[in-house]
Amino acid sequence: MVLGPVLQRHPDDGWTLAVPMKVGARMHRVLRRLADAILPPSPRTETTVDEVTGHALVCLRYMPRSSAMIFLLGMRLLNWSPLWRLRGLRPLTALPTDAARRHLVGITTSRWLPVRLLMYGPLGLFMSSYFDQDYVHRELSYAPAPFVAERIELRRKWIEGQEPGVDEEIHHPPVGVP
Amino acid sequence: MTILAHSDYRNGEQHETEVVVVGTGAGGAVVGAELAEAGRDVLFVEEGGYHPTSSFNPYLTESLPRLYRDAGGTIIMGRPPIPYAEGRCVGGGTVVNGGMAWRPPEEVLTEWESITGQPDLGARAMEPLFNRVEEIIHAKPQHPASIGEDNRLLEEGARRLGWQYAHNLRAQDRCVGSNQCVTGCPTGAKQSTLVSYMPRALSRGARCLTEVRVQRLWIEGGRCVGVIGKAINPRTREEDIDVRVRAKAVVVACGAVQTPFLLLRHRLGRPSRQLGKNFLCHPNTKVVAIYPHDIYAWQGVSQGGQIREFRDEGILMAENAVPPGTAAAQIPFLGEEAFELMKRYNAMAMTGVLVEDSHAGTVTRSFGAPMAKYSITPYDHDRFLRGVRYLATLHFEMGAEKVILPFSNFHVANGVDDLAQIERTQRSRSTIELFTVHMMGTCRMGSRPRHSVVNLNGELWDLPGCYVADASLFPTAVGVNPQVTIMALATRVAQRLQLPN
Repeated sequence: MVLGPVLQRHPDDGWTLAVPMKVGARMHRVLRRLADAILPPSPRTETTVDEVTGHALVCLRYMPRSSAMIFLLGMRLLNWSPLWRLRGLRPLTALPTDAARRHLVGITTSRWLPVRLLMYGPLGLFMSSYFDQDYVHRELSYAPAPFVAERIELRRKWIEGQEPGVDEEIHHPPVGVP
Repeated sequence: MTILAHSDYRNGEQHETEVVVVGTGAGGAVVGAELAEAGRDVLFVEEGGYHPTSSFNPYLTESLPRLYRDAGGTIIMGRPPIPYAEGRCVGGGTVVNGGMAWRPPEEVLTEWESITGQPDLGARAMEPLFNRVEEIIHAKPQHPASIGEDNRLLEEGARRLGWQYAHNLRAQDRCVGSNQCVTGCPTGAKQSTLVSYMPRALSRGARCLTEVRVQRLWIEGGRCVGVIGKAINPRTREEDIDVRVRAKAVVVACGAVQTPFLLLRHRLGRPSRQLGKNFLCHPNTKVVAIYPHDIYAWQGVSQGGQIREFRDEGILMAENAVPPGTAAAQIPFLGEEAFELMKRYNAMAMTGVLVEDSHAGTVTRSFGAPMAKYSITPYDHDRFLRGVRYLATLHFEMGAEKVILPFSNFHVANGVDDLAQIERTQRSRSTIELFTVHMMGTCRMGSRPRHSVVNLNGELWDLPGCYVADASLFPTAVGVNPQVTIMALATRVAQRLQLPN
């Protein structure tokens, strides 16, 4: 198997990831609360919520400033959604995680499109980051790096003249089916 | 090979060239390579960075900010809103697309011929262009060793139901099915412009300024003579260094959202008022089936084939495996429930329905960013419902346990009988969840200034020296993956581009 310089999580090709967007402590708390409520409670490490929130703030750097501001405004609206949905007087940051999650599920399935739209951003940012972690991949039995490394090697041999044969085909038939 | 990045620039520096090409995707790289091979001095300006094949990995947290516009957080507003993905790196969208290499159907080219009144856009006239593009990007079907179980399921399901299934032609040279098309092909097999056209251009002396965002055109005496932009600091993402490029001709190839965004700054397209109009996007929706056994959809090529049985209705269906991060962002569950479902990731077959546009939207400028607006019509909605039902039926025919449907008020079908509820529950266009990657048509080409934005050479009617060479040119939607059509039109623009003496 060839892992070599390729497939590293942080390839050393001189490219620099942007620093996270600066937000105030209150907004930071809102983002952490939303991430905590949206992400599966397990598996996690001690730093999962911080890492996922940090990644979201990095991604905001890559957006036009107006889009990033609209996103953050949407997060504020989400935080106060118990109030404007007439479900309570306290924001999500003041609710226990389970209660906040139940509330967000209600927003995700709301019949009102603009309300559901508020969840597009945080779902996309937090879930894509969480499900990209190695410890989550292990739980899913998802291991792309060794598979890709094997395929890179297969192509290398092909370029050298050794066309893939039947043995290299990808088959995962149901158990008991040849 | 000259590829410059932010650290190479000095404030106020100016470059001189014969042709400056803005963008390095399916349009820009092709037009630049063709011109460089014809002996022209070409300079590319690319907003994204240069990431070689050896830097690609299967991790979304790396590839989204590296390779995608706005780290993948782009959305078309409308009913329903449609998230879209667009490349932002050397190679543009071709680095992150599925690599499909279909020519447009003959009836589409016949329609273009009829709309423009020019036989040049007909199937016969375009044939040599398609041949040339297909040769360069190695458009051909996949080797059996690259096909995964999910593609086989789809093909077998189509066979059982008597539906036409076609193996996709893909831009690939010895693809071995690593299934990382959306995070950059780590084997180098996918013939994105990063590994096909750009090396051709650079080997002929073309230069490439990366990490520079073009902010406006440089116009003198009513003629476009260059572009003015700013280099983007990779750490802060601030636009902090002025960069100017003076040229005899400017080719804008930033895609159907960014191209009109740039041109609208100068209030161009006035004769027809069509600039930014006619926005088309081939909306897609997702149908995820969960099988009782693991099929490892992430092993084997993405989109090895398509179900083309319903092409006459404007419906295409295909497998489209995505990494768990993308899949999880599209499923309708949170917390533990989301993880319980994602634990079945290896048993998921991720498939999609593409519907050809029957209506157009717009792209405008709003608060310094492009604003795309598009709503599906009741006719499109009806076709989506049919397409979802077809695909779900296929999955149940193949033994799926359950199917995750793309409706905010009806998520799970546990059997084929549940599908009868689709028509009953889906009365509103707002409840369907869509996405897209095919943006087209905002600078339509034509033979009359009152009906089009650019002429048949790709040059703006009201700004000599400024050409467009991307999917914005399409007069109508193509109904298939647009990469080859963009490349063929870009080749045509390169052949017809005139430089002033």
